[in-house]
Amino acid sequence: MRDAIAAAMSRSKREIPHYYLSTTVDVTATTEWLTAHNAAVPVTQRLLFAALLVKSIALACRELPGFSGFHREGRYEDSPAVHVGVAVALRGGGLVAPAIMDTADKPLTTLMDDFRALVTRARAGRLRASELAAPTIILTSLGEASVDAVFPIIQPPQVAIVGAGAIAERPWVVDGKVVPRQLLTLSLGADHRVTDGRLGAQFLARIAARLLEPASL
Amino acid sequence: MNREELARRILELVTEIAPDVDAATVIPGIDFRDQFDFDSMDTLNFAIALHRELGVDVPEADYAKLASLDKCVGYLSPRLN
Repeated sequence: MRDAIAAAMSRSKREIPHYYLSTTVDVTATTEWLTAHNAAVPVTQRLLFAALLVKSIALACRELPGFSGFHREGRYEDSPAVHVGVAVALRGGGLVAPAIMDTADKPLTTLMDDFRALVTRARAGRLRASELAAPTIILTSLGEASVDAVFPIIQPPQVAIVGAGAIAERPWVVDGKVVPRQLLTLSLGADHRVTDGRLGAQFLARIAARLLEPASL
Repeated sequence: MNREELARRILELVTEIAPDVDAATVIPGIDFRDQFDFDSMDTLNFAIALHRELGVDVPEADYAKLASLDKCVGYLSPRLN
């Protein structure tokens, strides 16, 4: 497992000219929406914040080309289907990133069911090879590790990876006043052979905009 | 179900959710999170399992009361009898 990760990441750092961007998002309204949603539905339909993020990424991929696809044999092609991979830490050490297939088309509850099943199977060592090869972009969320931000490394032949730090209550300026808000730092590692920072910034902004409209996900 | 039986049943559910956890090594007084990186997905799966297997609905606001084996027994016993 460690050798496989080392090989993929070494290739990535050798071949992909990464650029990195980050943005801090006030997700207070989204976390409030999520708390209310989870209180109103049966336990089997509760959502995790990560599910909202996965869907937001998938929808942003639909809107902006250049982040969800594969760079192979010297050229990049956007993938017609968006399959967002989710990085899952294994308790014995190591990491896998299987795909939630056709992420953009799934209602949140279906997406969450798939997400739950995927993590369980990942930790039981029962993933299909196709699920590991499928992601067109990956989300790596280190929120539970209490870090502010992630500077993620792209998994080739993909060309982008989104990172999420911990959601935490911090001081934020709203209407000229410092107030406590729930903040999340989103980051993007992307491939300069395909996109530039300006487009990357737009991509992050689209993800954030979707995330702030949870009812429309 | 007495407290020993309940603790045993909870351990079964925990290892069902987290097949990579060895039930024999679980220390009752220490949070699952600190012992084996129990995360929000594990906690959600645990709440679903408690609903399905024991018929107990745990609101999200009470998740912290399920953080360790001891806390689970304390929280669940009065709700089962």
